[in-house]
Amino acid sequence: MIYLRQIYEIMMRELLILRQNHIYRFCMVLFPLLVIVFFTSILDDGVPTSMPVGVVDLDNTSMTRSLTRRLDAFQISRVVAHYPSMSEAREAIQRNEIYGFLYIPKGTTDKLLAKRQPKISYYYSNTTLAAGSMVMKDMKTISTLGSAAVGQATMRARGFTPQQTQALLQPIKIDLHQIANPWSSYNVYLTTVMVPGLIMLFIFLISSYSLGTELKFVTSKKWLELADNNIVIALTGKFLPQTLIWLAIIFSYEYYVFFHLGFPHLGSPWMLVLIALMQVLASQGFGIFAFGLMPSLRMSMSISSLWAVLSISMAGSAFPIMGMDGALQSLSWLFPLRHYWMMYQICIFNGFPLIEAWFHFAALTAFMLLPWLVMNKIKNAMLTYVYIP
Amino acid sequence: MSIFHNFYIGLQNACYIWRKEMQQVFKDEGVLMFFIVVPLAYPLLYSWIYNNEVVRDVPVCVVDESHSALSRQFIRMCDASPDVKVAYYAQDIDEAKSLVSRQLVKGVYLIPSSFTADTYGLRQGTISVYCDMSLMLTYKAIFQTAQVVSMEMGSELTKKLGGHYTARDEAVAARPLDYDDVPIFSPSGGYGSSILPVVLILILQQTLVLGIGLSAGTARDENPYRNLIPLGDKRYEDTLPIVLGKSLCYLMVFAIMGTWLVVIVPRLFNFPHLATWQSLLAVMTPYTLACIFFGIVMSCMVKYRENVMLLVVFISVPLLFMTGVSWPQSNIPGYWQGVSWLFPSTFGARAYVRINSMGATLSDVQTEYHILWLQAGVYFLLACVVYRFQVYRSRIQAKERLDFLRHKRAQTFQNNSAD
Repeated sequence: MIYLRQIYEIMMRELLILRQNHIYRFCMVLFPLLVIVFFTSILDDGVPTSMPVGVVDLDNTSMTRSLTRRLDAFQISRVVAHYPSMSEAREAIQRNEIYGFLYIPKGTTDKLLAKRQPKISYYYSNTTLAAGSMVMKDMKTISTLGSAAVGQATMRARGFTPQQTQALLQPIKIDLHQIANPWSSYNVYLTTVMVPGLIMLFIFLISSYSLGTELKFVTSKKWLELADNNIVIALTGKFLPQTLIWLAIIFSYEYYVFFHLGFPHLGSPWMLVLIALMQVLASQGFGIFAFGLMPSLRMSMSISSLWAVLSISMAGSAFPIMGMDGALQSLSWLFPLRHYWMMYQICIFNGFPLIEAWFHFAALTAFMLLPWLVMNKIKNAMLTYVYIP
Repeated sequence: MSIFHNFYIGLQNACYIWRKEMQQVFKDEGVLMFFIVVPLAYPLLYSWIYNNEVVRDVPVCVVDESHSALSRQFIRMCDASPDVKVAYYAQDIDEAKSLVSRQLVKGVYLIPSSFTADTYGLRQGTISVYCDMSLMLTYKAIFQTAQVVSMEMGSELTKKLGGHYTARDEAVAARPLDYDDVPIFSPSGGYGSSILPVVLILILQQTLVLGIGLSAGTARDENPYRNLIPLGDKRYEDTLPIVLGKSLCYLMVFAIMGTWLVVIVPRLFNFPHLATWQSLLAVMTPYTLACIFFGIVMSCMVKYRENVMLLVVFISVPLLFMTGVSWPQSNIPGYWQGVSWLFPSTFGARAYVRINSMGATLSDVQTEYHILWLQAGVYFLLACVVYRFQVYRSRIQAKERLDFLRHKRAQTFQNNSAD
């Protein structure tokens, strides 16, 4: 009973601290909300549309013009300019005016009609990877369609049915099923790792910060006194209000993204609750551990921020872990975001049972228990250390 | 005479402040970490992470219900392609699904039993491709491989079915209009080559802002009034020497770190490096200056030294997106484009990527180049304003303190005489 009383006292004290220091307001509420709004609004299109491409049409016949028109009609590409020569189109790419261009040499139509197999080409820049590969897809389709149009006309003349013509032009077709993300929306794919990753960064930082400032503002002894020098009570009381705030932020993120914006979530809604809980507790565990490892405000915060920024790459959502070197594949286990993301994509995105993500569940639990290892060191630091800038 | 004298004094003060700042940078572990250790280590780490550039041999599972020569040819060709590896054969789609759920494969090729009959019967044979969409790169590998293989097999079949006389006739019939696929700039299409240049530019800005912020925070912590400039030091009286002295110190450190970041690291890991040294220097000079003055302005908003980390670190990821490299610039909403104008990294990254990865000349990145100089100028003026205010405040505080001391002394004197 006395423990509950102590925890209550420390919680009230913590709430007061959270209210007095403005930085908490910013980092626990304002910035996370800003990050959520940023990613969901910048990626709102889902798939980039109307990306500028150019055309170098040296042939300029009705056939090539119809090719250009069809390219323009695609959702992803928009023909913004015609260039008189190849080098001018290349310079336009270098000036960031277009992402790629279609090159149609002189005499294409003549050769096509004379069955001399003319060659057109399309150029795209890979320095902007997403844009480049998307306009490439469109220009490739257009080039194939150009072939098909000629073939179609010949075959119709020979008396094939439309079905047979289709089969002759493309004997084998691919029936694509994009499971859970049929729009191949980048919003679904990026927001769900970037936002949790940045919220984790804030949890790491604030956890180390709130412990370190006890030393900096010389309030640590009073804090421990309230808990009768029982570090478990002291930590519980201190971090419980923060946990609740973080949970509120993450639940509102999940509500906004999965229910308002309708991101795919095939698992049960309880899984969202579970993963939010795991995320907050594991990150707090890491933040406290970082401080316990080096009980200095500056060092623990540096570790937290460097680790959190790295974890966005090491989550393996953009560039997959299996494409990295072996050593990095093992190192990825040390990043809470990696396990969070795996759990998300197995249990929520794809809706498989939790047992398939048991390893990542266990790893996140291990992160929650990390403070246990450094508990005594933190107590010692709080009672004896002096803040060094 | 007096102009020259004032100039000389100003120069002397600037040099003094430069020396002080240098000492502080190398004395302070935190600043040293962000000025030296992070710019040195992070690029190496990121280069290592993205070193393989592309994903090869993505494991897929095949459900072959056709069991025909044609279906086996498809499987063989997919397995032989660089991007996909046929890792498992499953009896039915449920078994394949359980393999996906255990993360053993990233996709499934399902070849239905009617595949051969449909293909040869001019009814279009169908191959179903199921992709785990949680990873864009593996999805692309699985889908594109299936597409390429099916097209290749398809054109072989068209030749056979078309009833042509000569090989040339067949080739023309299969593809009346030939085409070439030419990726210019970074032809390998690597993930690292596209993302790393931006990361390097961002590291430069973020470490500078963090380091300057930490150093300013220390200065504040040491001042009893939490001011940015030391109390009662006559050499900190004018604005210009302070700003110039401090930025000279940062510029010297980051002339070296910047060279490491934008010249050495790309060569070390063979990422694209097409820029000539003249255009690289021309772009990096205003960029570094803009970052320094931006850092100085930001540092004034920091109350305690550690708070700078809370403010600056998280912005890195949104900044990366606003450069327009991972998400096309043409699709960034206008208001976020407006916000991105505040940060030097937006234009620094765009200019650097274009001259370094695409071999553009300075005139191609003229807009960015001008904006960088503009930012450097505006942030320099803002930095002056901010320090001017600090000087003003410290003067008032010094005066208050003096009055307070005088008052106290007069009081004790009175008390003494009263005794």
